[in-house]
Amino acid sequence: MLEIRGLTIAAPGRDLVRDLSLCLPGTGITALIGASGCGKTSVLKWLSGILPAGLVARGQIMLDGQAITPPHPALSYQPQSDALFPWLTIMENAILGLEMSGLSRRAARAKVAPLFAPFGLSGCEALFPAQLSGGMRQRAAFLRTIVQDSRFVLLDEPFSALDAVTHMRMQDWLLARLADRPRGVLLVTHDLHEATCLADRILVMAGGPGRIIADIPVTTPRPARSEAALADLRETLKFHLLKDTSP
Amino acid sequence: MLARILPTLIIAALLLAAWEGYCHLMGVSPMVLPPPSGVIRALVAHRDAIIPHGVATLTVASIGFALSVSFACLTSVALYFTPWAQRGLMPLFVVSQTVPLIALAPLMILWFGFGLLPKVLLVILVTFFPMLLSLLSAYRQTPGAFVDLLASMGAGRWAIFWRATVPSARAAFLAGLRISATYAIVATIFAEYAGARRGLGIYILSAKNNFRADLVLAAVVISALLTLTLLGAIRLFDRLTAKGPEVRRDA
Repeated sequence: MLEIRGLTIAAPGRDLVRDLSLCLPGTGITALIGASGCGKTSVLKWLSGILPAGLVARGQIMLDGQAITPPHPALSYQPQSDALFPWLTIMENAILGLEMSGLSRRAARAKVAPLFAPFGLSGCEALFPAQLSGGMRQRAAFLRTIVQDSRFVLLDEPFSALDAVTHMRMQDWLLARLADRPRGVLLVTHDLHEATCLADRILVMAGGPGRIIADIPVTTPRPARSEAALADLRETLKFHLLKDTSP
Repeated sequence: MLARILPTLIIAALLLAAWEGYCHLMGVSPMVLPPPSGVIRALVAHRDAIIPHGVATLTVASIGFALSVSFACLTSVALYFTPWAQRGLMPLFVVSQTVPLIALAPLMILWFGFGLLPKVLLVILVTFFPMLLSLLSAYRQTPGAFVDLLASMGAGRWAIFWRATVPSARAAFLAGLRISATYAIVATIFAEYAGARRGLGIYILSAKNNFRADLVLAAVVISALLTLTLLGAIRLFDRLTAKGPEVRRDA
């Protein structure tokens, strides 16, 4: 289990996030939603060890009861854009995290190669990112994230740049990949539809300063997550979000 | 390839035709403005004299340019990792660019003689700063997502610099190379003009003193060809080192 205890993130003169605590189970998707600027991406970046300069954070990360300091190999981060390096092939991009962790290039390639087929990237090993579609790029980015064998995956609006159809396909694809390789996932998004379709639990953040105002389990089983079945849940989420941002 | 350069060839041909026509129709003295055909005739007739001077100029420019690029790369890395040094030195580098070449070139000859050194130093002085500025500017523009991704993987500053910053700077590096390459030839000719035994600069000075405008322009043609040679070498380097279709397009 991953736990954040008493996180406060401060910019000069104001707190972006104040005294935030949350727990992430070892499997399943926890969505963190909130209006723009409420601090959800800052929380994710702090967990990833990449809090922007100028922000100061206080708080603890506990992994199975032990305090850890980010960046940590148990946590892998996928930024909002796919962040595939255009000068590297898809294989070279996919092994980047493994190389950073000290694995030799040969060993990293051997480890990643069998995953290209299940990730729908067969034959793309030697291609460059510019030669792939948006969906394939996201799959390649997710392959790079998942192959690091971290226990928790931190996703920052991973599908926000995709068109609607690819977006839906990628959501199904992500669930299938996580079923193959279970991880604890913290998904930052402002898309209620995405949160309700994907998450097992939704944390609603409010801004000024950022704090969690609702922790809502998604009890509807996945095959039954139709628009109608999720309507009440979305209304509840909307209520929390609008209540907090009312003028 | 031909389709890409065709507009340039057509415009150049039209300009040369206009120049040729003007000289013949207006009866301009060849000592003042020789027609392009006269320049070509002079170039062909004096090729044995001009080409060795051109080779000397290209040698100096290439040595100076190569040293300048090497220094600029090393300095850019040092300044990138020591921001206080960057803040302290950049104003001095800027001031160095305000020193007029016309004042500096004769002083270089005075201090270091007629050999290779003063000319190479002048080329370095002229081409170093644009290269350095291109690189430092490119380093600052490394996409934040690349830096964040590597940092989240536990990469240190050097690993981030080597894996993300340097490759991201490639297009800007090549742009800086192209600008500096053109400056390199001009600076070499200027240094030779101030004093040299060989080179297009001293050849131009000698031709001018003999009222041979055709030979001056013939030397200018050669200097343009030298610049194109350097730019061609940079293009070759670009093609040989390009990785990925997107990078190639940017570069």
